[in-house]
Amino acid sequence: MSPAAVTVDRLEKTLGKNKVLRGISFEANSGEIFGLLGPNGAGKTTTLRLICTLLAPDAGSVAVLGFDTRTAPEEVRRRVGVVTAEIGVYARLSARENITYFAELSGVIDGELNRRVDAVIDRLDMGSFAKQRAESLSSGQKQKVAIARAIVHDPEILMFDEPTSNLDVLASREIRDFMVESRGREKCVIFSTHVLHDAERLCDRVTILHQGTVVASGTTAHVRGSHRDLEEAFLELVG
Amino acid sequence: MNALGIVFRKELREILRDRRTLIAIGMAALATPAVLIVISQVSAKTATQEYTVGYSGDIPTGLDILLTATSLKLERVDDPAAAASKQVDLGVAFQPTQIDEYYDPTRQSAQIADTRLQTVLGEYNAAKAAAALREKGVDPAVLTPLPIKSHPLSSVVKAAGNAFLSFFLPYILITMVFTGGLSAALDASAGERERKTLEALLLTPAPRSRILVGKILAVTTISLLSAFAAISSMLLALSQIPLVGARVTLSPLAAAVMVWLAVLLAGSFSSLTLALGTLAKNFRQGQAFSTPLYFITIFPASIILFIPDFNPSLAYYLIPIFNAVLVLRDAIVQNSVAWPALGVTSVSLIATGLLCWFATLRLFTREALLIRS
Repeated sequence: MSPAAVTVDRLEKTLGKNKVLRGISFEANSGEIFGLLGPNGAGKTTTLRLICTLLAPDAGSVAVLGFDTRTAPEEVRRRVGVVTAEIGVYARLSARENITYFAELSGVIDGELNRRVDAVIDRLDMGSFAKQRAESLSSGQKQKVAIARAIVHDPEILMFDEPTSNLDVLASREIRDFMVESRGREKCVIFSTHVLHDAERLCDRVTILHQGTVVASGTTAHVRGSHRDLEEAFLELVG
Repeated sequence: MNALGIVFRKELREILRDRRTLIAIGMAALATPAVLIVISQVSAKTATQEYTVGYSGDIPTGLDILLTATSLKLERVDDPAAAASKQVDLGVAFQPTQIDEYYDPTRQSAQIADTRLQTVLGEYNAAKAAAALREKGVDPAVLTPLPIKSHPLSSVVKAAGNAFLSFFLPYILITMVFTGGLSAALDASAGERERKTLEALLLTPAPRSRILVGKILAVTTISLLSAFAAISSMLLALSQIPLVGARVTLSPLAAAVMVWLAVLLAGSFSSLTLALGTLAKNFRQGQAFSTPLYFITIFPASIILFIPDFNPSLAYYLIPIFNAVLVLRDAIVQNSVAWPALGVTSVSLIATGLLCWFATLRLFTREALLIRS
């Protein structure tokens, strides 16, 4: 078996006076959708921020494709793409200019730049609004820009942090389809959500966090066990 | 292209599409000429304005013609003292052996009328005295045993222009360098947080120090653009508008010093305002943080206005902004540069800029930056 794409080992993090993570461990692999689940405040977003090097761990470690987040943060960021619920874009730039900016900053070389940007615009069906300024785009279109800028450098790891929470049904569906498609491309997809129903439909394996600790981990079927669905299993786990 | 150039180009593109920034640059270019036109017109109007002198008694022969010729209109009143408080600009009671003058120093019109009256009376008295001496066969030159003949070594008109410029230019430069880039700086810092693009930006592998330098360079460029737009339009306006007794030109040396100081000031201000913007939660809070800073920066320029002959020791040139004002003032007035003063000033401003950049970088790399957003 190939080594895990993301390895989180006994990770601890305190923000202010709040101990957010209390020694969590899990692994996520290429070619799977890995669910990081739990209620609001469980530590999901902090975990993702530690994986993508926006925060530094107090104890424990994170390795992304063999690169330690402490010692090689830039190498890690080169291999990670993150989509969050916050779909902030540069309003005075066009959708295409937004994507190009992030592609350049992510190190996509000049000769490849236009081809990559065009490819991602095609892939996300953004051709009709690619030249429009971002200030005039709908929420769904902005979310596509946010996804495009996260994947334009073709990262091996894709992380989605509550990506559908501000979107309508159609846009949410597109995001879910995109995650499934990325799994098919052998990407490691980490999907953080508190909507357990979504996770149950999409994820191959899940880890459930509660108050900064892992309360369950395994395949979706294993964690669900004999319960009707993940939600019931979760409620029993957290008492 | 490396991250610095990528960020610089993107920031500049965004800034130049921002209506607020374009309005600020446009205002900078238009405001100074507008102010100068108003000053010029007020000066011209004041010079030709007619003021009223309320008088009683008999006016000495010929004095009425002199007063009327200097736009002092004569109006007979019963009580000059009472009339001078409101009805007329000046009250004069002509007595056989003296003249009593009544005026309210708190009224500007009274002050101007008083100056004109004193000048006219001085000339009238001198002419009368000279005539009386001549009648008695005495040469009036005895009244001036040591006459003074002035030999100005440079143009008096140009000196007046330089004095005006040495007051005005540092003030405009500092104000425009600071305010011209402020909106851009806040947009590039607090704006990132407000529109929720900060996290995505920091997620790129680009080193944060380069991202920051790219932003600083873009803001510096806009600051300089704004300052030079304001100063160019000011100089153009001054070449077209006649200011009383002054001809205003900027020598090549003073212009070179101004450009150098503007670059140093803009670099420091950009770092500082980006730091404040990074601390702020949103654009509006950034503006609130920056307001006191504006007064701190403009204070040194204002102080110099009140002490034009201030001759400082070299140590004073260590004080940022204050030193730039002093060097620029000297370059304009004396058309020369004291190289040690310029050296100390440059070192001081570069050190200030680096300090501000370092502080901004520290803020930009703190975890709290993201947690707060």
